[in-house]
Amino acid sequence: MALKLFSRASTAIDSVSLLKQGEFLPAEKTRLADDPLERALQLGRYGMIVQQRDRWAEHPGFEKILDAAVKAIDERFALVPEGFVSVALSIFDQPGGPEQDIETGPFLLARHAVTNADFQQFVDGGGYDELDLWPEEIWPHLIGFKDQTGHSAPRFWQHGRHHRKLANHPVVGICYYEAAAFAAWAGFRLPTEAEWQMAASWRIRSAAHVNRRYPWGDVLDLARCNIWASGFGGTLPVDACPGGAAPNGVQQLIGNVWEWTSSDFEATDRDGRRIVGDSLLKSVRGGAYDTYFPWQAVSNFRTGLGCLARVHNVGFRCALDVPTE
Amino acid sequence: MSTTTSSTRFTPCLICDTPNSRDSLLCCECSAPLALTHEAADPERRPQIVSVLGDSNVGKTVYLGFLLDMLSQRANDFEAIPRGAYSVDLQQNVISHMAYRMFPPKTPMESHQWNWTYYQVCKRTRNPKWVDLVMPDMAGEALAAELAAPSTFRIIQKLLARSAGLMLLVDGALASSGSAQPDFFAVKMMSYVDSLFAGRRKKKITMPVAIVLTKGDYCPDSFDNPRRFAEANVNRLWNLCQSRFANVEFFACSVVGSLAYATAEGEDFVTPVPLHTALRGILEPFEWMLEQL
Repeated sequence: MALKLFSRASTAIDSVSLLKQGEFLPAEKTRLADDPLERALQLGRYGMIVQQRDRWAEHPGFEKILDAAVKAIDERFALVPEGFVSVALSIFDQPGGPEQDIETGPFLLARHAVTNADFQQFVDGGGYDELDLWPEEIWPHLIGFKDQTGHSAPRFWQHGRHHRKLANHPVVGICYYEAAAFAAWAGFRLPTEAEWQMAASWRIRSAAHVNRRYPWGDVLDLARCNIWASGFGGTLPVDACPGGAAPNGVQQLIGNVWEWTSSDFEATDRDGRRIVGDSLLKSVRGGAYDTYFPWQAVSNFRTGLGCLARVHNVGFRCALDVPTE
Repeated sequence: MSTTTSSTRFTPCLICDTPNSRDSLLCCECSAPLALTHEAADPERRPQIVSVLGDSNVGKTVYLGFLLDMLSQRANDFEAIPRGAYSVDLQQNVISHMAYRMFPPKTPMESHQWNWTYYQVCKRTRNPKWVDLVMPDMAGEALAAELAAPSTFRIIQKLLARSAGLMLLVDGALASSGSAQPDFFAVKMMSYVDSLFAGRRKKKITMPVAIVLTKGDYCPDSFDNPRRFAEANVNRLWNLCQSRFANVEFFACSVVGSLAYATAEGEDFVTPVPLHTALRGILEPFEWMLEQL
């Protein structure tokens, strides 16, 4: 009897199949507005507009643009309530292993991972040239953040453009610093590892003390996520597998692409020896389309990746503090 | 292919043809498990040997283990049926270690301790063509010893002479870091294979050879164009293949998504830790090989 492990859970087409269909189709260039505030809105720097409202207060169209930015944030982000998570301290995270309990405050998390189209705006807006966005210690590496044709862009792009057919797929081939630079440029930030786990496990403070293995519950459902066993073999659009959303509507925390977080990956092996990498390890979470072991794509699975790695299966999503006003 | 002799008192080994008593477990000459022969006794079956070769630590065991596990899970519409429980040992060993973020132990040098796999494999199409495949997991040290002093491991010689196809694994990460070791080992291996067919030297060897560049997570460039990568980084191997082998294809693969190390203060060694898996390029060389057989 066929187990139907590889039956398609969705009609969405994966990135590998799309790329096999023909030559690279570069995304079209957008004409950017001359006015800096209008351009910021056009580029999707909503967080920056809201944060720097004093800077733009004299601008004649400020109120209208501010409203549009706030509305865009409302649409694109969801509230993750305060809660707490138990982060495994050993990579052999067996039940009963050492854990650290961490409280997380309320925050906003993007409903979707950052797409190629989103990241195109960062590239077009000159993000790679704004040195303020990049820590000084990695300036020597900036010259290496190139695409297939030597332009400053994610690794798998060409001539600084993404493949048109992958506009709505998560951007990959970006290192931790590129992810962090995008987030800062747009006026957002990366979630911490604990925040990410809170969003995926939904361990809110309530009488029930729910701690989900997946954002949708405790049982693996291949129709709700894109991991190896789902059988797609590539990334899907960021809004595919809607049934896998967390209760607040945040999608694809599990599968499709691993997600960079702002936290360093610190853990030990079963003998208490420290885990180190060739370079600083940053925590990545959630699993990807090529994650073979399903238990490596759950809400509490911890792993790390070298901060300069620009690989095919790691993207990111943005977070934002809850506005105080 | 050899089958049980008509007298039924002796069983010729599938690998080396040496007669063995019917109740023996291993061949008295080459130590191959005689279960292989018993499984292949059906006259309609013609088991073909695909030898997986490569230097020590190149990743032969992990590659083969994941390949068989993926086939067992019907990846890419493949179907695979293990012939005998012993065939499952390798994939179980690999999967159970990697699931706990550990690499499996090194394959013992002694051939009687190697894992042997015998699978029936087919691609699920309208007219599926089943292929009986025998794929041993040989120790890299044993291969190196045989290269250094031929006939040290006669089983290797017998196996290669009987092979219908070869998969030569080359450490792409080490090669791209500037080390010539992967290139030299691969050239020695292919030269050895070439010498087994010395009588046909005028013609190129037509046996299909898949060159698989491993550890692609450390050298992602190898995925962009494995041929170009091989030409640049294992040029001696590239040239030998051009000269002597008519049916060669290059591939890249990776199993580990992130490699880290466990270490403690005062220790002068580190233990590699596969933090998570990310399979890439595992099936492609096998699929190509199956088309060639």
